[in-house]
Amino acid sequence: MSCHRRCVLTSTPSLSSTGWRLAALMTATALSAGLAHAQEVGNARDKSNAAPSGDVALLRKLEQMEQRIRILEGQLKQKDNREIARAHGQAPASPIPPKDAEDPGEPKQAKDQKRATGAAKPDWATPASRDLTGKTAPVNPPNSIIGLTDSPVTGMSIGAYGEMKFGLQQNPAAGGQWQNGFDAHRLVLLPTYLITPNIIFNAEIEFEHGGSGFDPDDKLHGTAEIEQIWIDFKMMDQFNWRAPGIDLIPIGYINEHHEPTAFYSVQRPELYNGLIPSTWKAPATSVYGRLAEGLYYTIQASSSLEDFGGDFATRTDAKTVPTGGYAAGIDGANALGFALPVRGDFQQLSNDIAVAGQLSYSPPVLPGFNGSVSAYYTPNTTPRGAYAGDAGMPLGRSSLTMFDAEFRYRVPNTGFEARGEYVFVSLGNPANLRANNDSDPTNNVGKTMYGYSGELAYHLPLGNILSSDWEMVPFYRYTFQNTQTGGFAGTDLNMPTGAGQTQFHNVGVAVFPSPQIVLKATWQKVINRDPAGANSDSVLGGVGFFF
Amino acid sequence: MTSWVRLTLPAAVVASVSPSYAVQYLTIDAAQKLAFPAANRFVENGGLTWKAQAADKLLGLFVVDHVIGKHLYIDYAVALDPSGRVMRVEILQYRESYGGEVREPGWLAQFVGKTSSSPLKLGSDIRNISGATLSSLHVTEGVKRILATYGSRTR
Repeated sequence: MSCHRRCVLTSTPSLSSTGWRLAALMTATALSAGLAHAQEVGNARDKSNAAPSGDVALLRKLEQMEQRIRILEGQLKQKDNREIARAHGQAPASPIPPKDAEDPGEPKQAKDQKRATGAAKPDWATPASRDLTGKTAPVNPPNSIIGLTDSPVTGMSIGAYGEMKFGLQQNPAAGGQWQNGFDAHRLVLLPTYLITPNIIFNAEIEFEHGGSGFDPDDKLHGTAEIEQIWIDFKMMDQFNWRAPGIDLIPIGYINEHHEPTAFYSVQRPELYNGLIPSTWKAPATSVYGRLAEGLYYTIQASSSLEDFGGDFATRTDAKTVPTGGYAAGIDGANALGFALPVRGDFQQLSNDIAVAGQLSYSPPVLPGFNGSVSAYYTPNTTPRGAYAGDAGMPLGRSSLTMFDAEFRYRVPNTGFEARGEYVFVSLGNPANLRANNDSDPTNNVGKTMYGYSGELAYHLPLGNILSSDWEMVPFYRYTFQNTQTGGFAGTDLNMPTGAGQTQFHNVGVAVFPSPQIVLKATWQKVINRDPAGANSDSVLGGVGFFF
Repeated sequence: MTSWVRLTLPAAVVASVSPSYAVQYLTIDAAQKLAFPAANRFVENGGLTWKAQAADKLLGLFVVDHVIGKHLYIDYAVALDPSGRVMRVEILQYRESYGGEVREPGWLAQFVGKTSSSPLKLGSDIRNISGATLSSLHVTEGVKRILATYGSRTR
């Protein structure tokens, strides 16, 4: 038999599946070409004389080849099916049906994963596609777990969180008048990308208060900012490096876990408004890891807090505070709320670098308990060119030390949860702080600032509503903070109003339709020592999400 | 010694001595041996499951699966005994920077003894992990799914 094309009919097991396909295709082509030729020959010969023995032998050989090809095709198909099954985690059909194949109690995300791949089939019968919502896609890895490609991820995943707030608030600037309002407080996008199995990129892009715009008809006065941007080098359990970027300062719990699903009140816990100026982020680099079971550490170097709270545009080209007076970054009214370090354009007003460290612990002997201790130290918060009054004497250096201890305890097998926190700030040299030298006698600070809070909550399951398990968490939190203690020193008159000692009572409820969505309502009562009163009570509702 | 050498030497020594387990903590082989130390063979059972056998005796079923943490996949393995109870859960690969507390043995130990009729609900019979809510939720759901699928099939 003559072949117009090369016939490749070997049974070499090492031939790849593509090779098999090619071989099958080529032999099929050869076969059809051969058959066509044989047909021609046969026809030609039929015309001349009766079928000679050569043709019969040829036809028999062709039949054998056909059969061989069919067998090979069958084997190839089986091999393909096995490979597909392996890659897709599919178990072959089984006579025993599984129980609870479609659990209505499962949260939506898991269900969507199933739905993305096939309607009402049980898990094991539906091929689970690797490319779920573009989060990962298989790529040839060096250390693949069989069937599970581990890296690198070819798609970027983007999560988000956000919170919206609305309700009635007393406005202290309007004599305590009750005013209602709405705030689209945050929308944060969380891009994550696995560059390699050991190098991970993470960022948080935040839009606050509805975003920012220029024209009066935009009615926008918010922010668009990079809240975090860093690359992690994961080396080993005990030691990993976060390259310089913008990162959160590791103080307390809420600064790093500040998504609306992490706390039950509409507004963030009060200690994190001024004493810990969340979201406290800074140019930083850190190392972190796991020291023992349940024990994690972080050590970080970052740009220092700065004692300048004025308009950004007034910084001089020499990177000093402006002349003619300027606002303090640290004061008795806002604590450290206006002291965040600068993150852009080399506009920092000092060379000072701060260090912070945190140990978080979930002791194996006390399941459900999580706690942390953390500390922050900067050698100096005074910016270049700092002075008293409008053009007074220069202000020297002043260090700042902060200490925090907090815990969260969810009593196992019950709905009870308790949280507690203590924050302490020590100001190195109050005589050099702008708030004590700005001709304002009411915003002075002393040698320290501190605060503490305690919270009780109860987790109440509400059952299955709208295809997910809902949970309700009523809570009460008490917070006390003192931002104007003794130890004042400086050129100002010292006449604090008593607004520096504040108590907060928060009562409310947080409803979780799923762990990723929260609906909140909180009533807050604020009491301070100001004879005019705090005038800052509020009744707020909130909607938050995190996915 | 100059100061930078003094500062970087400990890190360099630690980095050179210890292997890189940051992302892949266990291979499937290692996890299989941990779960079934008495087994001398693991027979592929379809999908990503293996029957653990010693001579002719069935010791259990070993299942590999993945769930999403916050954004990236967590690869984990569940070992079931022949009656369908969980013997062990191991995290094979954890990719993200946060939420790695799901790897803590104390937390994973909660799954031991669970069956397909256990509630496996975060916050009731499985503790939540503060700061790793999504990872702990998804791993719990994953184990529940595996029990639903294979919990009655290992007989």
